[in-house]
Amino acid sequence: MIDKKLFLDKNKTVIFGIFENPDQFLSTVGKVHSKGLDIIDCYSPFPIHGIEKAMGLKRSLLPVGAFLAGLLGFIGAGTLQWYTMSYDWPIVIGNKPSFGVSYVPVWFEGTILFTAFGIAILFFIRNKMLHGKMPSERIDMRQTDDRMIVAIASDNPAIDKEELTNLLFDGGAVEVKERTNHGYEDFTDANITK
Amino acid sequence: MIHDSVIRPKLVTGEKTLHDVTTEICRPIENKPSTSWKVGFTLAVIFFGLLALTLTITMLYGIGTWGLNKTVQWGWDITNFVFWVGIGHAGTLISAILLLFRQKWRMSINRSAEAMTIFAVLCAAIFPLFHMGRLWVGMYWVLPLPNAFGSLWGNFHSPLLWDVFAITTYFSVSLVFWYLGMIPDIATVRDRATTAGRKFWYNFFSMGWTGSVRTWNRYEVVSLILAGISTPLVLSVHTIVSMDFATSVVPGWHTTIFPPYFVAGAIFSGFGMVLTLLIIARKVMNYQDYITIGHLEAMCKVVMLTGTMVGLAYITEFFVAAYSGVVYEQYAFINRATGPYWWAYWSMMTCNLVAPQVFWFKWARTTPWFIFMLSIVVNVGMWFERFVIIVTSLHREYLPSGWVMYSPTWVEIGIFLGTFGLFFTCFFLFAKFLPVINMSEVKSILKNRE
Repeated sequence: MIDKKLFLDKNKTVIFGIFENPDQFLSTVGKVHSKGLDIIDCYSPFPIHGIEKAMGLKRSLLPVGAFLAGLLGFIGAGTLQWYTMSYDWPIVIGNKPSFGVSYVPVWFEGTILFTAFGIAILFFIRNKMLHGKMPSERIDMRQTDDRMIVAIASDNPAIDKEELTNLLFDGGAVEVKERTNHGYEDFTDANITK
Repeated sequence: MIHDSVIRPKLVTGEKTLHDVTTEICRPIENKPSTSWKVGFTLAVIFFGLLALTLTITMLYGIGTWGLNKTVQWGWDITNFVFWVGIGHAGTLISAILLLFRQKWRMSINRSAEAMTIFAVLCAAIFPLFHMGRLWVGMYWVLPLPNAFGSLWGNFHSPLLWDVFAITTYFSVSLVFWYLGMIPDIATVRDRATTAGRKFWYNFFSMGWTGSVRTWNRYEVVSLILAGISTPLVLSVHTIVSMDFATSVVPGWHTTIFPPYFVAGAIFSGFGMVLTLLIIARKVMNYQDYITIGHLEAMCKVVMLTGTMVGLAYITEFFVAAYSGVVYEQYAFINRATGPYWWAYWSMMTCNLVAPQVFWFKWARTTPWFIFMLSIVVNVGMWFERFVIIVTSLHREYLPSGWVMYSPTWVEIGIFLGTFGLFFTCFFLFAKFLPVINMSEVKSILKNRE
């Protein structure tokens, strides 16, 4: 797995395999990964289960972030109630302790609120998403419609491009193209003559 | 024992391809609005105008324009508040609880149900806010009251303040859940956009989404966590709403059964409203292949189950009142069923307990026009439930000298009808400008994608 920054570098070359069938896409991505090639990223219009394993992605750490955000909410809601009702101006009703069960609802809601907003904000930060941002990688306008795309780094001179192209086409790719400094080079015709 | 699994019917019919899903669900956004949309939207805006008018009158002349009196201090306002909050329960229930249970039929209805949730909670918020009087001195709600001895803060022992936290948390978490789920679909609309306006706005709200697998991977994690925390949240909200009543000493309210009974009622009324909306939407927008009879049938089963739970709670309340030996409690229930508001009580019983029992029959669960009629009955019944709980308990409390009758003024009726205007105005705008069905989720359940 190589750094995604390489992909954004326009001087690096990348081979794209474009697929129509999600099952063929999934198995081909697995094959490409098992050959030890560097898959920069994949794109699909819907979540394909199992592809993160096929690509060799690590588990996301977002749940840890969600827990920390929730903890912050828990501490915040508890502190707010303790400070206002038990410390700054304790209100005793029916001779019951002011710090007690009646704090539970707001405590709970505060924890949930912070967890939800925390994880949403962390999600946006981690994906570098921002309102109005132009999408950085659009290989095909149909990648959010019905096309699945695998992007493979092709800088390494050891890569046999013909073999890779054939692997992609045999796996069900409808189009294979390479992005170089000069723009896109389409491999589709080469396959037809094969 | 080896059990052969029965092959379940397809969740999306009509042999759709991925591209078909995109085209069909983007159609209302990309085309000019239909005549039925224009007529419906105009009607909704007229009622929305009525809301503006009646709220202005309330602000100008005060709460005296409502039919409330010294005994019945909560009338239509809180009835309508609980009614709308209840409706707002189906959306998050469908998307969160059914996600945790891996119920894939939720995928074509969750988007519109979540939208319904958000709009219903907006409508609900109007009632307690305007009941407080002058909104512009609202700083007092959140900041400590200044006085000679220090700062007097809001009372965290009060269920009314719990409710403020519960409803605002529910609203904002539902909004986050709804919006996050919509980003991939907004990106799809963006990539198909032909006009400059659409390109700009859908690009703005899609936040640079590309459909990268890394993003999808995190998106799935976030969805699961949000579903996990929304499940107790959705159950807590109506629990806390019920505590507004249950923690008081008013006969008929002071009942420990209230939290589960209110939650069941909320799911019941929420599904009732989802059915009302979706039966129209699937017909008008031609989405019968996505929202199939199977979806309607599943929702009818939920309505039947929760309706029966609510009915059981009504009967249990009666039993507990009789068994308690408290005369005030006993009178409150006898008065509900046989007092001056008997018609409200029996409407509630008929609509909520008796009517949904027809869903034991498959014909009733699979005939859209019939389900539509029943869903209206459920909505009416649940409105009456809240009216019965609030008004019949208050109008005859401990002291017979304080007994009165309550009836709404035209301003209160106007506000209630006006909230339907607000609700449907929002819903029509949603149906025109946003994908009503979750495209990316529906694509993942097409044909051989198991």
